[in-house]
Amino acid sequence: MFINNSKLAWQFYQQEHKQAHQRLLRWVQGVLLLFIVTLSQSSDSIQNYLQHNLQGLLGADAVISQKQALSAQQYSVVTTLASNIVVTQQIKTMFTHQGQWQEAQLKAVDSRYPLQGELLTSKAIQDEGQVTKSGPELGHIWLDARLLASLSITVGETLLVGDQYFLVTRVLQHEPDRLMEGHSVAMRAMINTKDMQALNFAADLIQYRYLLAADPEQIAALINWQQQHLPAAQVLHKQGKHPLALFWQRTENFMGLASIILFFMAAIAIEQLAQVHMKKDQYFTAVCMSLGASKRTGIQVSIFKWFIGIVLLLPVVLVLSTVFHYAVINFLSETFTELTWQWDIFSAIKPICAVVGIFAIFHMPVWLALYNSSVAKQFSGNNKGLNHWLSKLSSVLVLFGIAFGYSDNGLLTFMMVTAVALTIALMIFISWAGLTLGEKMTQQVSGLIPFTLFMMKQRLISKSTQILGVGLCAFLLLFTLMLLKDLGATMSSYQRQHDGNVFISQASKTQMDYVERWAIEEDVNVRQIKPYMHAKLVEVNEQSLTEFSEKPSDSLSTFSQAIRLHWSQSIPENNALVDGQWWQQDSVQWQQISVEQEVMTDLGLKLGDWLTFFINHQRYKFEITASHEFKPGAGSITFWVQMPATALTHIQAPQYNMASLEIDDDQWSLLAPLWQKYPTLRMVSLKEITQLFDNTLAMITKVISGFSLMIVLLAGVVILASINALESKEKKKNSIIMSFGFSRATCLKLNVIEWLVTASITAIGAILGTYIAGLLIYQSQFSLTYQPNFVWLTLTLALILSVITGLGVYASRANLRSSVRELMSST
Amino acid sequence: MPSYIELKNISQSFQVNDSTITLFDKLNLSIYQGESYAITGPSGAGKSSLLMLASGLEQPTTGQGQYVKNDQIKSLDDLRTDIGFIFQQFHLLPELTALHNVALPLKLRGDKLAIVKAENWLAKVGLNHRKNHKPSELSGGEQQRVAIARALVFEPKFIFADEPTGNLDQKSANEVASILINCCHENNAGLVMVTHSEKLASRAQQIFSLADGKLTQPNNSNPKVMLCS
Repeated sequence: MFINNSKLAWQFYQQEHKQAHQRLLRWVQGVLLLFIVTLSQSSDSIQNYLQHNLQGLLGADAVISQKQALSAQQYSVVTTLASNIVVTQQIKTMFTHQGQWQEAQLKAVDSRYPLQGELLTSKAIQDEGQVTKSGPELGHIWLDARLLASLSITVGETLLVGDQYFLVTRVLQHEPDRLMEGHSVAMRAMINTKDMQALNFAADLIQYRYLLAADPEQIAALINWQQQHLPAAQVLHKQGKHPLALFWQRTENFMGLASIILFFMAAIAIEQLAQVHMKKDQYFTAVCMSLGASKRTGIQVSIFKWFIGIVLLLPVVLVLSTVFHYAVINFLSETFTELTWQWDIFSAIKPICAVVGIFAIFHMPVWLALYNSSVAKQFSGNNKGLNHWLSKLSSVLVLFGIAFGYSDNGLLTFMMVTAVALTIALMIFISWAGLTLGEKMTQQVSGLIPFTLFMMKQRLISKSTQILGVGLCAFLLLFTLMLLKDLGATMSSYQRQHDGNVFISQASKTQMDYVERWAIEEDVNVRQIKPYMHAKLVEVNEQSLTEFSEKPSDSLSTFSQAIRLHWSQSIPENNALVDGQWWQQDSVQWQQISVEQEVMTDLGLKLGDWLTFFINHQRYKFEITASHEFKPGAGSITFWVQMPATALTHIQAPQYNMASLEIDDDQWSLLAPLWQKYPTLRMVSLKEITQLFDNTLAMITKVISGFSLMIVLLAGVVILASINALESKEKKKNSIIMSFGFSRATCLKLNVIEWLVTASITAIGAILGTYIAGLLIYQSQFSLTYQPNFVWLTLTLALILSVITGLGVYASRANLRSSVRELMSST
Repeated sequence: MPSYIELKNISQSFQVNDSTITLFDKLNLSIYQGESYAITGPSGAGKSSLLMLASGLEQPTTGQGQYVKNDQIKSLDDLRTDIGFIFQQFHLLPELTALHNVALPLKLRGDKLAIVKAENWLAKVGLNHRKNHKPSELSGGEQQRVAIARALVFEPKFIFADEPTGNLDQKSANEVASILINCCHENNAGLVMVTHSEKLASRAQQIFSLADGKLTQPNNSNPKVMLCS
């Protein structure tokens, strides 16, 4: 029986193979499988690479990293827990040479460095790196090739750092412990530890790293000890996770979340195609049942037929995903050197199983219709029942499941799902209101347009589904493209308007005082100054941060390092209270804290929770009494965590400032002496920020363009599927119209008008949806006020209108190949 | 002077593989506005093809067809706006109510009184009380009555009906036949019916039989004319 049914399914499949509904189903499933498999394989490659990278680039078996040095007692404990130990110090500082400046990462090492791996240096930029047994001698400095080029300096020349002169003796090519730098593209320099002391940098600005040689047992003991005694320190070890692993998990999650959109479109396309599949399979089952076969035969044949389609699709998907995977790895190898492509069938199996399961749920209405119908109903193709709606509900649940599974940023997911839901509601409303109003208004007017509106109104449900499918595609495409376009423009203009063109991210009190005096003397406009201190969140309600929140998120990744803790008497002008109560001025109760709303959502915090921060080696506990959000219009320097100013009397820690300045074109040269005096002053020009942003944008552009291509492909399939679902109805309608004495040209005109109306509703819905999404997401995710460009939106409207109408009319040309004779011959 | 359709020496044949199959050869037929005609014959004789040729929707292999309107000779292409069809399967649009199905051709023509006229026609076929029902809520006989109203509402000069009672029980078939013939007569529309039913055929003024490629007129009948409803 089983074999017979499979044979029957195969035969049935072959017959339908070239028919439009099967072809379109293959396209929908193929495109989505291709996307998910490529995403999973690329992600696995990166995670594997990072793990391998961790083994080879840690430069030690374990590393303890923290601001400020270990105390003598702590150091002695660590030495007992490790077989060998090497200390390095890092600081970000400004290098100046003959009027040119460049910020770079300065590393100080002693003669025992490196602990593990190879340190490569050379005498000249073009020379091949030579293995070097220890770091620079006293008074010597090694610079990497980019820093040499940036400062226009060569080996043999002297370089001034602070008030010390250094002789450039070698080109720094490779450090074995570069892993700790993560994604940093900062330029590099290396000196001797003893010179670092002479430079006399503020102790709290220096990052200390203790490279340790230790076996797994020692590492376990070390971690245990660190959690007890050094909770604010970061420990990396070869058995652990790469510091970038979480970042890439987030990237995958973001892409996955974006894929909910693709799944949604696929669900609509499959829903449309299921109508045709249902009709055919029901008819087949009815014939089988009328010949004495059981209902089970029909269902089995239908399931086998669907499964054969999937199985035959898989080789194509695997080949294409391999090609795309190769292309992605090639693209990413610019970022990750030594990332190589490797084919792994197993990393494809899991996503394939998951996606095929989802497809089965989307296809469920067909099987439920077969299961729940009598022979008579099968022949008539009746499928509206409780199960029909249950299957729709399960599809919606699947979509929510995907959103939840990929979500690591609760607010973004919520915004995205809300934007999509609002767009759907909006489009349904516009379809209903537009068609009802149009029909009512044109009742007394003669012609084809009123007739089209009338017919569309009568077919509101099927028309709405079509509009929804096409509209969502347009919305998503528009949103991704708009995001790309507006983000750059809005960001730079906004920053220019409110933040000036030079940004200070870290200035000590002395440095800030000097900058303020310098600004008055040089007539430089200081826009904002806001104080902060470094604080590392270690516990939430006396539970360690890693135990409290395991889901990767922006907030968690930021809190894994020290954050900037701001204080203020009253709520800052660019913040608004979202929840709770802001503290009274001069409040005695200083252990209060306000946390940014998105951080609260991401980490699952609520008012009344107690946060323990490690500030300058001391633990401080604060109760969350308020939650705030960014309010545009008063500068963009804002802080995630804020405490009352009265807390300062209880906390002894170095204080810093963030600030923004507006510098005229002829004042740029004034910056060099400022940096010469304070090399650790972290100051960056808007031009540099923009440059950094442009580079990021260029990468995002490539990713979004690829994603848009997927949307365009699926949008095309959705349009074709919606036409395919209505094809028999449309053909009949055209034949009937021709039987009233009208020509085929009239049918064509009606078709064009119908698609113009569809496209108009679609475009208006898509643009309004995009606007809502813009308002929601721009504000919450990028803290930007969304300022849409209406000229651009109008042009887009026109483009959507013409593309959808053109494609719709072209794709539905088969519907015009109808005749009165078909009505005569149909039974 | 009533309009009429004239088919002269028309033949219809088609190719199947290498052989030519001739449905009929050198037929002559005149169809006058206001008269009713029935074409009977065995399946596959070419009755429906003859209907398509007479309505100008298909071209004959040889021969000529013409439409004479107000004493002017026109091609059969000009007949299009003056004809209506009725089908065995009714072919109402399922999403529209009976009223809107009937109003459909008028709306397409931009008639502002489409709904009023449609209501009148539904009353004529005795279905005014069912005007807001959709086809799925109507019986076969009722659906065909709606289809008749729809075919006549825009006052065509000729109605072509393909097995109009073929899907109905005897009682409904009788009712539908009466309504169809009477309404066409009252509207001064020529009616051409293709049917297997001798009973229906017998109610037409002119009866033709199409068999073996020949069109013959076994006998003439002239049934009494009834009121439309």
